Amino acid sequence: MTEVKLTIGYDEFEEGKRIGEEIEKLSQSAESAALSSLIIGDWGQTYENSSEEVVEALVQHSASFPLLRKLFIGEMDSEECEISWITQSDLSPLLTAFPELQSFTIQGSNNLSLSHLKHDKLEELRIICGGLGKDVLAQIAGSSLPNLRKLELYLGVDEYGFDGSLEDILPLIEPGKFPKLNYLGLKNSEMQDEIAAAIADAPILDQLDTLDLSLGTLSDTGAEALLASDRIKKLKALNLSYHYMSNEMVARWQQSGLPVDVSDQQQSDDDEDWRYPSITE
Amino acid sequence: MQPLIVIGHPGDRRTEGIRQARERLGLPPAIILPYAGLLQGRSLAELLAEQQPAMADAAGRGSVSPLLRLDSPGGSFESERALIALGAPDAPDTSDALYPGFERQQHSSLPPNTEQRQLDSLPHSAERPQLRPLPLSVKAALRLQDLPGVLHHPSQWFRGYCRLLGRLKREAAEAWPGAEWLNDPAEIIAMTDKRETQRILAAAGVPVPRPLGGTQPPVDYASLRKKMAAERMHRVFIKLACGSAASGVIAYQVNPSTGAELAITTVGVESFITRPPIYYNSGKLRRYTDRKTIEAIINWLYRHGAYAEQWVPKASQGGRSFDIRQLVVFGEACHAVARCSTTPITNLHLRSQRMTPTEAGLSEEMLEQVQETARQALAAFPGSAIAGMDVLVSGNPQRTYIADVNPFGDLLYDVEYHGYGTYEWEMKMLADRPQPSLPQHRL
Repeated sequence: MTEVKLTIGYDEFEEGKRIGEEIEKLSQSAESAALSSLIIGDWGQTYENSSEEVVEALVQHSASFPLLRKLFIGEMDSEECEISWITQSDLSPLLTAFPELQSFTIQGSNNLSLSHLKHDKLEELRIICGGLGKDVLAQIAGSSLPNLRKLELYLGVDEYGFDGSLEDILPLIEPGKFPKLNYLGLKNSEMQDEIAAAIADAPILDQLDTLDLSLGTLSDTGAEALLASDRIKKLKALNLSYHYMSNEMVARWQQSGLPVDVSDQQQSDDDEDWRYPSITE
Repeated sequence: MQPLIVIGHPGDRRTEGIRQARERLGLPPAIILPYAGLLQGRSLAELLAEQQPAMADAAGRGSVSPLLRLDSPGGSFESERALIALGAPDAPDTSDALYPGFERQQHSSLPPNTEQRQLDSLPHSAERPQLRPLPLSVKAALRLQDLPGVLHHPSQWFRGYCRLLGRLKREAAEAWPGAEWLNDPAEIIAMTDKRETQRILAAAGVPVPRPLGGTQPPVDYASLRKKMAAERMHRVFIKLACGSAASGVIAYQVNPSTGAELAITTVGVESFITRPPIYYNSGKLRRYTDRKTIEAIINWLYRHGAYAEQWVPKASQGGRSFDIRQLVVFGEACHAVARCSTTPITNLHLRSQRMTPTEAGLSEEMLEQVQETARQALAAFPGSAIAGMDVLVSGNPQRTYIADVNPFGDLLYDVEYHGYGTYEWEMKMLADRPQPSLPQHRL
């Protein structure tokens, strides 16, 4: 596997370096033909400039990357841009341009759209953000991704773009929606308890190996619902790390014998009863 | 051998570190002259005569040339309070020869009322910022209470420290004809005032993050916002000009598309209805997104003197970004520590994780560049032999910048260079060097 990451630093952007040209250069280089994984990092002041230029350049030069199977748009840390400030665009043309793609990861949700979400071979879709809009949730629910094995969505908080409710999430777990799905992550949510309760006895669990409800505000309430479900017991992995469960609840999980991760227990703020999902900014 | 006189707090971690280092190396003990005594108005000569009458005699005649080392005045509330009193307008000694602001005022080419007129042209804000904080009288300063973390009066503290060092420099020159300073007090002042530090470094060609506003820096929140927009510098670090460590530091950014603001800082605010707010250093990092609080904190910093510079995106490893504290002693880059944090503010006491630069993922080549940049930075202060540099390494591409020069930046635990701790190495370098040959003019 060969992997390349393209990134434009702040100063480089000020000096005129552009991601479109870097993608073009890469497409003309010797390594493009063998490239299997491409990471697009900071494309230059991403709080202001959207990923449109990335999409255009990759679509234009897609023929130069015949072996590309893995694509990440927006891998950057908060030193480069706050996650909630990354400006995306409609990324679905990338899926059309790379019909052999297997893994697609998106970081940042501002202006994000997946307007035409159809792909026969995609196995993995991940969206990492501080708040995912219900329009994108609807696009995923209405998608055609028959080969999808792993769906991992950071739902986030309303302050950073999550404007949905449970009704926007439930269509994602309808039976038959993603027939091959075996990893489901509905995580980093400020309504993690509601999600846990809704999914605890959902039929989709029967096809899953892994359920990932980590990084959110899961408390004893959601945990009770999960523990009460028989379907949970068939999972090969249940990820509940970064949570607000009590010590007693953590102990119950540990004694349950289930393959559960209850690490990274959070403490509620002493002064105010505020709980934060892991990634908000 | 030249006797070493350390001005510091007897028994604190710094003077203890020096004492133990000299003991381990078999060197005669250093003479510790306490800030407390000096701040009570007693002179260097008086304090030395009390501890070492024979040496005081010899130094007075010029047959012994003491080497003077200033250490940090921090860690003692009594000293902080006394320095704020010393900086008062009604203090008995108001000689401001070392105060950088004094020089700036003297050489200012602007007509006297310019600042006020510039302010008048700014958009009206709810609270028209004052240019300077109200001074505290000597009496009021001496009544200050020790409240944990509270930033009492940083600008007046700094003026007091300038006055004290000015006095010590004068006293040493008068009492001991052969005396030398390890670090020239005037340069310690320049290192303590970040505006001066960065100006001196830039003039010497040392890479520093781009200052916002160039030679016309902002004076308050409103002008800061204007300059950020005009220079397209949407992410800045704002630092109290004469703060230490993470005291009064804000990582501040404005989203040019949405207008959203985010300030990550150690500064906490306690608001009151009937009196002005109190600003303090919070143990945990705070995130502010509301404009009113952000504006109040930034205006407070600017009233006490602040410095804003480009937020250079730091290199990161495993989700943690880092900077390097690089000690330089007599022109040689020695001890180095990488300070890694998931937050933009990497100072040691904010529960950052410490690593060796190599563990943090720095290549050999970049490590050499860090050392070279740190050496250049010390060389910009020709009267100083020791300082700890905060070196930034940017992520893409990797370049080095000096973020800060710490005159007392050698208090680093559990880090060795050729098998020596920081104080041991410094004392060894002092003992090994041919006598007397400080890289500076004699006083």
